[in-house]
Amino acid sequence: MPPRTLSLPLRTALCCALILVLFPIFWLFMTAVKPPTDWNASPAIWVPAEPTLVNFKTLFDPDAIREYGVGGVSRSAGDAVFGSLLASTVSTLISVGTGIFSAIGLSRYSKGSRSAPLVILSGRMFPPAAIAVPFVIIFSLVGLIDTYAGLITVYVAVTLPFSTWMLKSFVDDLPREIEEAAMLDGMSRLKAHLTVTIPLIKGGLFATTMLVFILNWSEFMFALVLSYSNINTIPVQLAKYVTATAGTLYGVQAALAVLAMLPLVLGGFFIQGHLARGMTFGAVKQ
Amino acid sequence: MLKCPITTAATTTTTTAASEAYSASGVPVLEARELSKHYGRKTALDRVSFSVPPESFVVILGPAGAGKTTTLRLLAGLERESGGDILMSGESVAGLEPKDRDIAMIFDNLALYPHKTGFQNIAGPLLERKLPREEIKRRVGAVAAKLRIEHVLERLPKTMSGGERQRTALGRALVRSPRVFLLDEPLSSLDAPLRFELRAELKRLQREEGRTFLMATPDFAEALAVADTVLLLRSGKIVQASPPEDLYDYPVDCEAALFVGSPQIAVLHAEFREGLIHCAGLAFPLPTALEEAAEHMLRAGPGGFLLGIRPENVRVLFSSPSAPEAGGWTGIPGARDHAVGQVTDIESLGLRSVITVRCGREQVGMLCSAAQRAQIRIGQDLAFTVADRERLTAFDRVSRRNILRRAGGRVFEL
Repeated sequence: MPPRTLSLPLRTALCCALILVLFPIFWLFMTAVKPPTDWNASPAIWVPAEPTLVNFKTLFDPDAIREYGVGGVSRSAGDAVFGSLLASTVSTLISVGTGIFSAIGLSRYSKGSRSAPLVILSGRMFPPAAIAVPFVIIFSLVGLIDTYAGLITVYVAVTLPFSTWMLKSFVDDLPREIEEAAMLDGMSRLKAHLTVTIPLIKGGLFATTMLVFILNWSEFMFALVLSYSNINTIPVQLAKYVTATAGTLYGVQAALAVLAMLPLVLGGFFIQGHLARGMTFGAVKQ
Repeated sequence: MLKCPITTAATTTTTTAASEAYSASGVPVLEARELSKHYGRKTALDRVSFSVPPESFVVILGPAGAGKTTTLRLLAGLERESGGDILMSGESVAGLEPKDRDIAMIFDNLALYPHKTGFQNIAGPLLERKLPREEIKRRVGAVAAKLRIEHVLERLPKTMSGGERQRTALGRALVRSPRVFLLDEPLSSLDAPLRFELRAELKRLQREEGRTFLMATPDFAEALAVADTVLLLRSGKIVQASPPEDLYDYPVDCEAALFVGSPQIAVLHAEFREGLIHCAGLAFPLPTALEEAAEHMLRAGPGGFLLGIRPENVRVLFSSPSAPEAGGWTGIPGARDHAVGQVTDIESLGLRSVITVRCGREQVGMLCSAAQRAQIRIGQDLAFTVADRERLTAFDRVSRRNILRRAGGRVFEL
């Protein structure tokens, strides 16, 4: 497509929208490098005069912030980063890996009944808070509370309907004859799905993985109620930067938030190239 | 009661009668027995039986939605039948996976691998069978040469033209030697010259290399051109199974007659009284071919029956009415050897033209030469006659079924 120029009003509107969207991120980055004195300054300090990395240091060395006379941070964020990476990655892989086969089953073999897709989605039809308490009670009984296995179980349960539905829409869009032709070429059903169906919905698979990962990565409530001391995640850790002496440690929170953005931004860049449409162009008569 | 002897005939279906006749020449490669497919409450295929003998070319002819694709998908094992049985080389293939049925299929939407080159697409089935690399190259090369697509072997489907894609899909099937080829409208997106050429190529493969084909098409001309046997499918049922000539000359009912043949057959109201058939202003003695239907036509009374006249069997008359060219029944009392109607439409087919003439309530189509066409204007009166009375066919007015029983015991019954 040739580059197009936008009309002036449209360009202005786009700029306004962009500012609205990017301002919180700008503020986040600025806060992350502000010394404690600038956090709550009034009038607000937009760009710190003396940017510092002390907030980042404090994440992994709780005593670093003491040079500014602020104390009370007791715990390194290292276990939170580890916990988030572990819980999000494993649950995303399980969710998408299971979801792709549920999606193929629903789309190609109408497994279950006609209402099966709806039943699956119904798992998402009530607020998560409604099932949080039952989860805490049941997990306490079976010993899954305060374990990564428990957290991952919940994450998979919550995101599986999502990944199934999203992947189903991609499988639905793929003409089934392409994989059927592969079966007639001599492939088993499983091999046809593995070597034809899945590679051809690669873009959808990446997009779904990304979305599910974001959901898991930013999940707060379940992580909070299912953790005591053994497990920790970034969203939970963010809420812990409140001290008795210095109030909320905005700068440290911002620093952790910046770190938390990293994998998502990198992942976004990575999958961008795979999201191209028209993968199947030419396969079937238009 | 308008019951003719034929409509009370045995309930044996045409299709089983035909399949029994064929199986004498060997075990059918493919046989469908009472095959049914339901989607929820909808019936896509209703107890269809037929067989495909070895080295034959069977065509399933039918309009869109008749169940052609469903039939092929069931045979390929891509969908499970709701009832009935499928036999291949005499053995039931119920529950057998597509890969184990040893068939090749071309889908109507082609279904090429979009992420693989022309070569990889055609070589697909060979790669899956782990043939030696040299052998694969040789066979793909040979097929590509035959289909004249050597230039697309290195290209992805998205860079191919429609015809090249179609031929690549054809190549992927022809590279194998399966027990039967299932072709779902394989020639539909090609332009005319290539379509005729590939049609001839398929026919040649069948005749010279002894391949077996089962093809689905909505195009009667294609069916008549290649088929040994045509299965006329309508609303999930086989209404006629016969050699192509019989389908044309002895269609099972009015709808079959109208579906097969272009320009379309004229179906006219006719009456049989005083030894003469009265139709569209013509009155002529009973032709031998219709003799067996005389009783039925008499009993039909004043309501009459339906007479099918193909356009090529109507002759335009320019000279005086009693000229010798007008049939051979001028001497018989009460006979009228020509009729006159008003020209309502002239359609050129190139070499010949179709003239449509209105006689009272009836429309009659007829073919004429370019020279004759030059003398005809829309709105003028035109005299015409039936060229060959033996090539007429007759239908019951109520059931619209053909009332002729073809000599040789073939029964066109449903």
